[in-house]
Amino acid sequence: MTKRILLYAALAAGAFISVFPYLLVVLTAFKTQAQLSSTAPWLPGLPPTTDNIAEMLAGDFPRFILNTAVMTAVLTAGQLVFTTFAAYAFARLRFRGRDVLFWLYVATMMVPSAVTMIPLFLIMRELDLVNTWYGLLAPYVLGTPYGIFLMRQFFKGLPAGLEEAARIDGAGPLTILLRIMLPLCRPALGTLAIITVISSWNSFLWPLIITSGDDTKVITVAIATLKDGIGVDYNLMMAGSLIALVPMVVVFVFFQKYIVRSVVLTGLK
Amino acid sequence: MTGPTATRKPVPVVAAGPRPGAPVTRRRGSGWQAYLFIGPSLLGVVAFLLLPMVIVLVLSLFDWELLSAPEFVGLDNYSRLASDGQTWHSLWVTVAYVLLCIPLQTALALAIAMLLNQRVKGVKYFRSLFVVPWMATPIVLGLIWNWIFDPRDGALNSALALVGITGPDWLTDATWALPAVALVSVWQHTGYNMLFFLAGLQGIPQELHDAAATDGATPAQRFWRVTLPLLNPTMFFVTVTNMIGAFQVFDTVYAMTAGGPGGSTEVINFRIFETAFKQFDFGYASTLSMLLFVIIFLVTLAQVRFFGKRTTYDLS
Repeated sequence: MTKRILLYAALAAGAFISVFPYLLVVLTAFKTQAQLSSTAPWLPGLPPTTDNIAEMLAGDFPRFILNTAVMTAVLTAGQLVFTTFAAYAFARLRFRGRDVLFWLYVATMMVPSAVTMIPLFLIMRELDLVNTWYGLLAPYVLGTPYGIFLMRQFFKGLPAGLEEAARIDGAGPLTILLRIMLPLCRPALGTLAIITVISSWNSFLWPLIITSGDDTKVITVAIATLKDGIGVDYNLMMAGSLIALVPMVVVFVFFQKYIVRSVVLTGLK
Repeated sequence: MTGPTATRKPVPVVAAGPRPGAPVTRRRGSGWQAYLFIGPSLLGVVAFLLLPMVIVLVLSLFDWELLSAPEFVGLDNYSRLASDGQTWHSLWVTVAYVLLCIPLQTALALAIAMLLNQRVKGVKYFRSLFVVPWMATPIVLGLIWNWIFDPRDGALNSALALVGITGPDWLTDATWALPAVALVSVWQHTGYNMLFFLAGLQGIPQELHDAAATDGATPAQRFWRVTLPLLNPTMFFVTVTNMIGAFQVFDTVYAMTAGGPGGSTEVINFRIFETAFKQFDFGYASTLSMLLFVIIFLVTLAQVRFFGKRTTYDLS
């Protein structure tokens, strides 16, 4: 019995540590500057103030949030469409050079993104796309090898005779993919979408390098410059952090089963 | 990359076609369509992954500071690298960072997974709560942990003060800055890794544990001789992907310490960034990128060898 109590105590402590920084963001974002120094960090400031949130929302922040949302939407849509087509071809169609090409994809999964940043920037510079939406989106909108790898695993796992009837009826690969495969893919696509949404929203290094003006500035870059602008006004910083985190929290709460399922998709279960 | 059991699962037979056992029909005319299907993604792989690798390799042989014309210098950048103390320091910082976070976050993830794998009530809720850190934006996390680590009013030192300990100046203290940044990685990645271990543990049949227990194996023996070997594919996946990520750490360093104090957190990726986009020394920055690529490649290869040597048990 004591073992059982210890077990739950350990799990509860771990869960608390996992959530505590988020809690701290909320507590701090609603404190005045005076409450910040007079109350313990883990206690709420009474009465709570919405001034910090209002101040952040009055600036350019909403625009940066919108930019980030646009980037996330485009990248996720691109990933879903192009990845589905490519992964389906690799998993269920036969064509010359298929296996060689697939191993090429798998090999590029090992290329660290840190290594391709400089040449990507130079390519965009050569194409005159620095500080444009095209430059920001192009490298990631055509789908990632990792996504294709995950989806290929999924397609491979579908029953072998699935397309047979449709093919006998004369349906081409496009019809089969859209009519028969796609409805079965919904869980896998959900997982792929969630992973892409989170990684797009959180992306920092590439936007930092490729964009400079406010027109294409995303929330992560804005947050990074926040520190230089307002020094150690933690209540303002946490208000900004809260605004940046809320969309991901919402995504998580509604779609977390897809995140858990990403484990299964890797084929490791 | 994938576990060996992944592709060997028996394919369930579903009566989809009229003749399930019939030979595969010829896929007439689907060849060109297949190329159309992979076309866009192939363009992406070639233009944004393979071409950049070639460019990095070529540029590492040039002296180019963006405003002047590139000048071919052969292996000069590489000999400069050999005597560049600051880069070797960055490399050491990166290795220290990897060693600080990977063993800890892997062991913690496995431990939590084992706790959750023993008929815990509300396992779904615990699982979700533990994954919550994973989705946080790293750059935002940097700010949040700056606040937690704040020496005067931060949550950590305030809590330590309650028990009579005066905490260090964490991020401005050369001894503590790197462990503090590594701790953020541990906080962020432990829960997500735990998901993989939990799934792996649930795949181990209870009979194996029972049989080992009947044979008189102690819990410790059962862990080392039964559980751990059977988790081999999971362990491989988790350590490889985490290490590749950890060697490239950038966002949290950028937000928390910007490489300071005194270069004590200047990881290699941060140094590449500074060399390219602050000093505009693109040739040499490419040489540093090649170095990082080779290191990640060798470390991954070493892991493939290490895990490949160990027996993998197919449970399907």
